[in-house]
Amino acid sequence: MESKTSRFMRKNMAAFMTIVAFMSLLLVWELVARFTNAGMFLPPASEIISKFVESFTVPIGKHRMLVHIGVSLYRVGVAFIFATIAGIFLGVSMGYSKTVEAIIKPIFEFIRPIPPLAWIPMSILWFGLGDQSKFFIIFLGCFCFITVNTYDGTKNVDHVLLGAARMLGASERQVFFRVVLPSSIPYIFAGLQIAITAGWSAVVGAEMVRSDEGVGWLIVMGMTNGNTVQIMVGMLAIGIVGYILATAMAKLEGRLCIWNQQQGI
Amino acid sequence: MEDKREIKVKVMNLTKQFDELLVLDDISFDVKKGEFLCIVGPTGCGKTTFLNSLTKLYQPTKGEILINNEPVDLKKHSIAYIFQEYSTMPWLTVEENIRFGLSIKHMPKELADQKVEEYLEVVGLTKYRKYYPDQLSASMLQRVVIARAFATEPELLLMDEPYGQLDIELRFKLEDELLNLWKRNGTTVIFITHNIEEAVYLGERILVLTNKPTKIKTEIKNDLPRPRDIVSEDFVNLRNEVTDLIKWW
Repeated sequence: MESKTSRFMRKNMAAFMTIVAFMSLLLVWELVARFTNAGMFLPPASEIISKFVESFTVPIGKHRMLVHIGVSLYRVGVAFIFATIAGIFLGVSMGYSKTVEAIIKPIFEFIRPIPPLAWIPMSILWFGLGDQSKFFIIFLGCFCFITVNTYDGTKNVDHVLLGAARMLGASERQVFFRVVLPSSIPYIFAGLQIAITAGWSAVVGAEMVRSDEGVGWLIVMGMTNGNTVQIMVGMLAIGIVGYILATAMAKLEGRLCIWNQQQGI
Repeated sequence: MEDKREIKVKVMNLTKQFDELLVLDDISFDVKKGEFLCIVGPTGCGKTTFLNSLTKLYQPTKGEILINNEPVDLKKHSIAYIFQEYSTMPWLTVEENIRFGLSIKHMPKELADQKVEEYLEVVGLTKYRKYYPDQLSASMLQRVVIARAFATEPELLLMDEPYGQLDIELRFKLEDELLNLWKRNGTTVIFITHNIEEAVYLGERILVLTNKPTKIKTEIKNDLPRPRDIVSEDFVNLRNEVTDLIKWW
């Protein structure tokens, strides 16, 4: 018979492997940083982790870590909300109207490959050095993903469902709100999920535009001062918060699109 | 005996052409009020195009379709269409799906509640009312669609091989369920199938279509008493008769 220990091991194997892999990475990192010349360019993992923990009580620059994270989250949040509204509106319009598609899609496809960072100089020129230019850069980081996914969702509505609604006498407005929109929701959420991560990644670029707080600023300022520990503390904060945001968005999707992941009987 | 019921649907010279391809060639027939009409034809003969033209999902190239002596208008005439593919809305539960057609037609809430309950019961899905389509079996999905269609109490119910994807046992069960609903509500039904046995089992009259370009080859009156026995001599004879008419081999 299987012993309790081996059953526990079997059930938790994946988690166990992840922990072992992480610990090994940290150990190798620590050893390389402490005992080889690479230590000149790579601070030891223990130093980064302890600095990260410390940053919640001792300010880096003017603020403690939570304030840096909060400021960046605020910037991403505002930009994300605008990107969501604009992206869904544009995506739906392009997907639903052939005229809008013909007018907007080529322009959109032309702008889409331009990375948000390339917009930094123009955004400073247009919006100045304050938060508006940061919103704009993060907005660009999110907007395209939401638009493309919404567009795909609207385009891919099952024709059988459209036919069924029309046959039941639905007006075009009813078809839109009761079939097209709900059936696009999983696509929209997939877009929102990529967009929140992309927007959070764009925060570093956005905070390169003169600022004195935010997780992006930690990295930019660390680079200016040659402070590798601070750079990596900033990276760690971005990674952790990014992971939390993506997980939260996936959970929200799970709640709102419950019909999309039910188990059969 | 002549059918004295009034004419519900009048199809006059219905023709549909896709570019060079003539699919429907000058089809005319009537359907009586409360009649169960089956339409059979060889696979690929344009049966679905025929229904789609009938419902204006496709604009006919020529010809006219009248319901109660007026041109078809989906907003005005209450028509329900059951497709071969399952057309349940995946984001709505069973009961919400049945309610869908009623709320499209702006039926008052109390009346709609009553209808939903009634048809959940009729198709035996009361227990599964909170389930989403993803959780249901094929026959249950088709029952939801049938309940949704009947709940709107359509003047005309069009069915396009609705049981084509079900196994034989479930098909028999749902066919009987359909007959009960038809008798109960007096709905006019046009039922398209390539399954001859199904057509003989269900229909009061059978229209046999030709290969493309589709015309009406003939029509057969089906007076076999109900409930019909699929192994009785009369049933088998009629089935063979229709099969011979359809044969293209």
